Amino acid sequence: MAAPRTCGLWSYCGRGLSRAKRNCGLPGLRSSWPWGPLGARLLSQEKRATETHFGFETVSEEEKGGKVYQVFESVAKKYDVMNDMMSLGIHRVWKDLLLRKMHPLPGTQLLDVAGGTGDIAFRFLNYVQAQHQGKQKKQLRAQQNLSWEEIAKKYQNEEDSLGGSLVMVCDINREMLKVGKQKAFDRGYKAGLAWVLGDAEELPFDDDKFDVYTIAFGIRNVTHIDRALQEAHRVLKPGGRFLCLEFSQVNNPLISSFQVIPVLGEVVAGDWKSYQYLVESIRKFPSQEAFKEMIEDAGFQKVTYESLTSGIVAIHSGFKL
Amino acid sequence: MATLLRRALFPLRRIPSSPRPAAGKSHGAGLLYPDHIPTSPLQKALLAAGSAGMALYNPYRHDMIAVLGETTGCHTLKVLRDQMKRDPEGAQILQERPRISLSTLDLGKLQSLPKGSFGREYLRFLDVNRVSPDTRAPTRFVDDEELAYVIQRYREVHDMLHTLLGMPTNILGEIVVKWFEAVQTRLPMCILGALFGPVRLSAQSLQVLVSELIPWAVENGRRAPCVLNLYYERRWEQPLRALREELGITAPPLRVQGLA
Repeated sequence: MAAPRTCGLWSYCGRGLSRAKRNCGLPGLRSSWPWGPLGARLLSQEKRATETHFGFETVSEEEKGGKVYQVFESVAKKYDVMNDMMSLGIHRVWKDLLLRKMHPLPGTQLLDVAGGTGDIAFRFLNYVQAQHQGKQKKQLRAQQNLSWEEIAKKYQNEEDSLGGSLVMVCDINREMLKVGKQKAFDRGYKAGLAWVLGDAEELPFDDDKFDVYTIAFGIRNVTHIDRALQEAHRVLKPGGRFLCLEFSQVNNPLISSFQVIPVLGEVVAGDWKSYQYLVESIRKFPSQEAFKEMIEDAGFQKVTYESLTSGIVAIHSGFKL
Repeated sequence: MATLLRRALFPLRRIPSSPRPAAGKSHGAGLLYPDHIPTSPLQKALLAAGSAGMALYNPYRHDMIAVLGETTGCHTLKVLRDQMKRDPEGAQILQERPRISLSTLDLGKLQSLPKGSFGREYLRFLDVNRVSPDTRAPTRFVDDEELAYVIQRYREVHDMLHTLLGMPTNILGEIVVKWFEAVQTRLPMCILGALFGPVRLSAQSLQVLVSELIPWAVENGRRAPCVLNLYYERRWEQPLRALREELGITAPPLRVQGLA
């Protein structure tokens, strides 16, 4: 029967197709793809997809990447200050809640995408370190009858305070990474931290590498969100978790705050346009339910979301099973 | 009351679900001039307050003073524009819209002018104080295209005033020029700058300022016709002394150090 066969072909070529899409840049190749209905669908999607939105402006897709890059290049140095001002410091609570939801145990390999200035990475390191120390304390307490030699050996093996955990911070923007590296240096974070320049739509990592993938306030700036979600699915290990912290649709529209944010940006940072973009890009981002469906489309299962602060932000979570 | 509040929050359109400013949707559409950023009355009020505070906190933020001028000056700019229209030279300026920048100034020609001429003295002022006419920020928050030009012209003419008054660009000189401008233009930003600028001065400078410089600036400001009505670009050859006489500007008290 035709139907089940095409279904089987569909699920088989789903992932391979996405990779083929990335590798071959020639539209001609796509139209000669053997699977007819698939080829037609791709072409029509391609035509519709040449334009996208940059806040409320309509731009071509090539333009959006460049424009977003410029926005973050200009805000990088004042990024943390502006976050504090705009959310009145609440963004720290949101990020802490994300970590608590993640509940990483020592030994976790985390990939933090669009994590430029390192907020999630540093919290992760603190968390696993605290967990590791807690575990070690419990171990020591349980082993009461140790010889002096064994105790001395335990103290000598204090090299890895993180228990094998590693966080890879990946960002497309050099300026944001620079600010992050400087922060890490200032705060004394050295072990378990790596900084990589990379594009969320095309991650420079192999398949099945990470236990957790996070993207905090980054995914709305990506030109093709579906590609980023597919990449997330690819680099996670089976059993791995996808976590996304992002602005969402508010239940009670906070009209004033969207007017105030560009004003704050102008007065504090001398930059109206970047913060106007921020406000508009929040408006354009899909709702909690719609985003949940996008995550499910990428292949994640058990997708849930939790709205915080009456819907200003939401944490979406999914598993690769 | 609710409608008043709504009108304050939403500038042009009255759709409650999309309170963003109506213009500025796509590139250029609805913008009155390049660099125009439409703002609601609430945003203008916040900008005015915020820029005033930031300018006091950090006097090196010249962009904040510019923003303050744009957000507080809408009524005064209309008065200035009407005054310019009534004067023949001013009306010409409004029509031809000359801009003062390094690209429009013919520096070679100014250099070749005789010493003592307005153009030559202006060039000397730029050199000695190491300023350039290109550091003026473009207008962004004025919601009328002609008024945006008026305030831009006012900013570009500021350096001319330094030359005419013989004031350097140190803080004392700037305050004196601000007093002159406040009396001449009555822009709220000038008045605020004139009143709050001296806050950061030493007692000695303050004394000199209050006893001699401010009365001199106010007197000259009252006496002179509106300085925005002068087509400076046509008066480069005019001797500076003659220009000063025409405007009724007397020599400054000699105590101000530095050159203009």
